[in-house]
Amino acid sequence: MHRRNVVAVLIAAGLGIRAQIPPAPFPWIAPGSGMVLPKEMNFDNPLGKLGVMNADGTVNTQGHPFFEALGANGRACVTCHQPANAMSLSAETIRERWRATEGKDPLFAAIDGSDNPSLPQEKEASHSLLLKRGLFRVGLPWPAASNANPDFAIEIVRDPTGVNRDAKWGLKSPNPTVSVFRRPRPAVNLKYVLAPDNGLFNVKLGVLLDKDPATGKPVSMNMMADARAGTLTLQAEDAYRGHEQGKAHLSQEQLDRIISFESQVYAAQVSDRNAGDLMEPGGPPSLGPANLLREKAGVLNSPGKPVFLSFDSWKNGTEFRKSVARGNDIFLDRTFWVRDVAHINSIGLANPAKRSCAVCHNAVMSGMDRAPGWVDLGTTNYPTWTEPKAMNEAGELPVFKLTCRADVKPHPYLGRVIYTSDPGRALITGKCTDIGAITMGQFRGLAARAPYFSNGSARNLMELVDYYDRRFDMGLTSQEKQDLVNFLGVL
Amino acid sequence: MRRTLCLLMVAAATALAQSRTVSFVSCPVVRDTRTAPCWLAEYQGVLYFLGVQGGVAQDFYPPQLNHEVLVEGVLAEGVTADGPRVCGGIPLQPVKTSVMLELNRACNTILPVEDGIEPPARGRGPALNSWARSAAPGDSTLFFEFDNDFLSLHATRALQRIAEYFQQAKAKQLEVTAYRGSSKLSNGSLMVEKPGIAAERAAKVSDILKGLGLPAAALDVRVRNEERTPDGSSDAWSRKVTLLVKP
Repeated sequence: MHRRNVVAVLIAAGLGIRAQIPPAPFPWIAPGSGMVLPKEMNFDNPLGKLGVMNADGTVNTQGHPFFEALGANGRACVTCHQPANAMSLSAETIRERWRATEGKDPLFAAIDGSDNPSLPQEKEASHSLLLKRGLFRVGLPWPAASNANPDFAIEIVRDPTGVNRDAKWGLKSPNPTVSVFRRPRPAVNLKYVLAPDNGLFNVKLGVLLDKDPATGKPVSMNMMADARAGTLTLQAEDAYRGHEQGKAHLSQEQLDRIISFESQVYAAQVSDRNAGDLMEPGGPPSLGPANLLREKAGVLNSPGKPVFLSFDSWKNGTEFRKSVARGNDIFLDRTFWVRDVAHINSIGLANPAKRSCAVCHNAVMSGMDRAPGWVDLGTTNYPTWTEPKAMNEAGELPVFKLTCRADVKPHPYLGRVIYTSDPGRALITGKCTDIGAITMGQFRGLAARAPYFSNGSARNLMELVDYYDRRFDMGLTSQEKQDLVNFLGVL
Repeated sequence: MRRTLCLLMVAAATALAQSRTVSFVSCPVVRDTRTAPCWLAEYQGVLYFLGVQGGVAQDFYPPQLNHEVLVEGVLAEGVTADGPRVCGGIPLQPVKTSVMLELNRACNTILPVEDGIEPPARGRGPALNSWARSAAPGDSTLFFEFDNDFLSLHATRALQRIAEYFQQAKAKQLEVTAYRGSSKLSNGSLMVEKPGIAAERAAKVSDILKGLGLPAAALDVRVRNEERTPDGSSDAWSRKVTLLVKP
């Protein structure tokens, strides 16, 4: 639904939304626009309104390195981390930008805003993955610098964009590169993303957590789909040189300002077209950006402190609010056989393990994993992947065949020959056991940033829930699925 | 069928009377219950109870479907083939399980909930010593699954304790000795770990100790790669790394 239509629906429904903050007049912030962002902003989205809070007050974007194009292609951080989209980017926003600029926006830069930099960039078809699924190309060197002797060999089985077989950009190019396609992560609520697990160890692997090279302290290893950057500094440098095609290094002042901005911005839904005002006094204490600012990060789900606290106040509310409360209960308590998920079932928790959603999505307020959260849910690996099941069926994503050496640990549930559309963490570690492992994303502001999963395969929240229902044979009823969708939508 | 079962029971009772240790490789079985699932494994017609699904803080790390499991256990005192069962199986205590790394998709049995079959009530549980043991602050032994260098939560905590002790004691040297284990199964067959496993364990433990702040020069790392002769009783504890702080 178009934003203006959503506003009309809200008015017509007479929901009496308390949002005193008028919708922001700038759904798209272009690099160098020089605008001043207020402390609190609301943005319409298909399910209601997203609230964005600058906890440190107004932000003057003039000359601010997050909002200025620093590299060679006219992009800034804000290009792919828009406040209206919970500091990520929805596929709908991307399509709007294509229509508004006829594909000339720096967002569509050839380097990663197209399917393949060698394709004719003026053609819409050359940006199909970005326009359809909101996917950016992530080109990673192979073998990874951290492991010159990887566990597995990579063959290209299917290359619909041509980039992996490209003479300049591909696996056999002078700079051997594997290209996968991923959604941008929301650069918001980052204290929850960055809070390290309690202790020095990655309990899943029995090794030490990576450390911040600047401080020597352990990092969460929960940032980015493959956790390749452990700190905001490393991520900013990675994005500057990659997505912005920067040539030098960011200055310390630029890094400080980028990180300072990112560390104080919070986003979550503040109103829902069916539930009404999500911020009303006495409502669920996890909702809205102010509560994200207030709560402590790094807290593990427990009976006394469930992941999204309490929805009890809605159990006697409207039908929709009751549905949301039921969705929260399903998320917390409905057990099913969690099966064949590498880095969940393989860490001593049993395979299968009879658990609920909240066992993996266990970090309070974010729904991420408090431990390093890269897991092979199965979205990118055959046969549970989200892509067409038949190998010979035309697909949109590349397919790789990975063959693990006989002397290494195999993937725990797929063995030594694995077909995948994105090897995930394994492209960083070179480990067979990491193939298909993708870091869990946060659950906040979901309504503002469809599609979902790192490969943009779930166009809406129902498709996301459907995937889990199929993957784990959960046997959810239609009502239970809708309850989960309604619950996720208000976060 | 009944005659076969009787014969199996007699054979099992005879076997139980002869030996208190049981070692075998088979497909694990998970039994659903109204509370927590139980893990079992069958050997020569006898179903053994291994443990209950829990978290990584518990001593028992359950097996995995799609993989065979090496079971090395001891029959609890007084246990007989026709005695009381736990979750439908004869309890082994202590028991050490190792997930076999290669896939076996035939290992895929989930038994449904059955009236009257429930896991044991959660009590204190067995001692947390199947992953790490220590006789003094300056020593520790870490145990591993077969052909595996994975360090459980208990083993990582033990490593952290030994590193802290080393630093507090201002010790000069930490002797790290990694072993390659072997097992003699109840059917007489032998299993020997892969040749490089001791070196992998040594490297992993050493890397962690260095990451915890111990100087590389203080680590006296030894790799015992020779094949050990298994005895069929203490084999589960042959897959190990020992740590000894020296003044």
